[in-house]
Amino acid sequence: MPEAARRSEPVGAALALDDVSSGYGAISIVKGVTLSVGQGEIVALLGKNGMGKTTLLKTVLGMVALRGGGITIGGQALSGLSPAKLVALGVGYAPQEQPLFQDLSIRDNLRLAVPSDRMLPGALERLFGHFPFLKERLGQRAGTLSGGEQKMLILGRALMLRPRLLLIDEISEGIQPSMVERLRKVLLAERDAGLSMLVVEQHVAFALGLADRYAVLKLGEIVDSGSAKASDARERVIDHLAV
Amino acid sequence: MLLLLDILTTAAILFIVSIGLLAIFGVLKIINFAHGAWLTVGAYCAVVTAKLGLNPWLALPLAFVVGAVLGGLAEHFIIRPLYRRPLDAILATWGLGIVVGQLITLAFGRDVQLTPNLFAGTVAFGGVEYSAYRLVALGIALVIGTLFALTIERTRLGLSARAVIMNETLARSLGIDTGRVRLVVFMVGAGLAALAGVLLTPLTSVDPNMGVSWLIGAFMLVMVADASFLALAAACLVFGAAQVLISTFVSPILGSIAVAVLAALVLRVSPKGFSRA
Repeated sequence: MPEAARRSEPVGAALALDDVSSGYGAISIVKGVTLSVGQGEIVALLGKNGMGKTTLLKTVLGMVALRGGGITIGGQALSGLSPAKLVALGVGYAPQEQPLFQDLSIRDNLRLAVPSDRMLPGALERLFGHFPFLKERLGQRAGTLSGGEQKMLILGRALMLRPRLLLIDEISEGIQPSMVERLRKVLLAERDAGLSMLVVEQHVAFALGLADRYAVLKLGEIVDSGSAKASDARERVIDHLAV
Repeated sequence: MLLLLDILTTAAILFIVSIGLLAIFGVLKIINFAHGAWLTVGAYCAVVTAKLGLNPWLALPLAFVVGAVLGGLAEHFIIRPLYRRPLDAILATWGLGIVVGQLITLAFGRDVQLTPNLFAGTVAFGGVEYSAYRLVALGIALVIGTLFALTIERTRLGLSARAVIMNETLARSLGIDTGRVRLVVFMVGAGLAALAGVLLTPLTSVDPNMGVSWLIGAFMLVMVADASFLALAAACLVFGAAQVLISTFVSPILGSIAVAVLAALVLRVSPKGFSRA
């Protein structure tokens, strides 16, 4: 979809976070975050390590308890929904921490992402459309893939079920620029097909090149946000990320 | 030959007794000290089947179903709230085992119960006369092991269970209902324990505390196997052999503690036990 046309559409919230707070035990990590992702929009959430980005994603997924505020996906409140129900609602997740079952085959890693084996052939076709190299390597142990290949598997797995909303955690971390570019093209193609994404990143150039809007998270709070295409976006983000 | 058959059949019996505990430990990461109680429940299913005049082999499916249902109830009402408190879960399952034992005592009394032999007599095998039932037990262990391996390797439940064992957080994030996986695995584990209880009836006396003596050995074997199915099979074979050899050539009393002592020694040297191999 051409960018101008996309921007002219009314933006309904694929994901809306309203004053969201969460944390672990006695420690508050996410503090009153309000953020939305429109239909077919990519929002980049930037911040240094330990600022609460991953915790925020896990809160959306119901893996970290919501302590305050509200989360809606496509207008539906998420309170109390399990990750299994969220996946059924069309939420995909590409995690950063231990994102694959290293000792399982690529096929088994992919099987685990579909609710039934009957859905696997169609899902695989969709995956091979993005990453054809995986077709010949389904029997290979996932842990033997290179870092970049593993990222492609993680992203491909998250895209297999045609999610409506995709949560991505530092997909560009630790991989070579050509791989990053390949991932960027896949994500932009999915965005143009209508997929909404919340992309957690530290790689500023990648994030701003990909996203429509950005937000910066610092110590659990949004300290800046705006259009990723604004001329001063990069400078402002880097200012926030500077030590 | 006799010694070899003794070793193989002892290993088979140890495997049958331990496999349910291994399944639960692998997925739920808790030691189910009610395992002995499920064994006893299974044995009493054989008692009930005999009292009703039914075919004694019917006790096997009956025990599996009764064990699975009771296990499911225990998981839902007792174990589930304690997953984040493994020490409390151990205490709770220990307490549950005591309660089950007392309820059995209430219903059947403390006396030793008699059950019909599932397979009486001896058969000529490899040039020796050998207990037909112990050979059948060996076959049953192979069947259980094969079905267990096929379930783990070839079914969605098995794949989901392996995923939960490897990385439960990732499994949850992919939409796997890990709570359901835990419930089903607990039911299967308790069902297998009850099944083992029936299979033990021709080999041991049936009384409300019969499961306790088997629990320790099963516990040590599972610790050595560290949630690995193949490591459990290997541990049963090695320790079963040690038990038979020590009982035969040294002392039956020392043989009876061989599994526990050797398992402790192995864990002292290699904390991951046989699974490292």
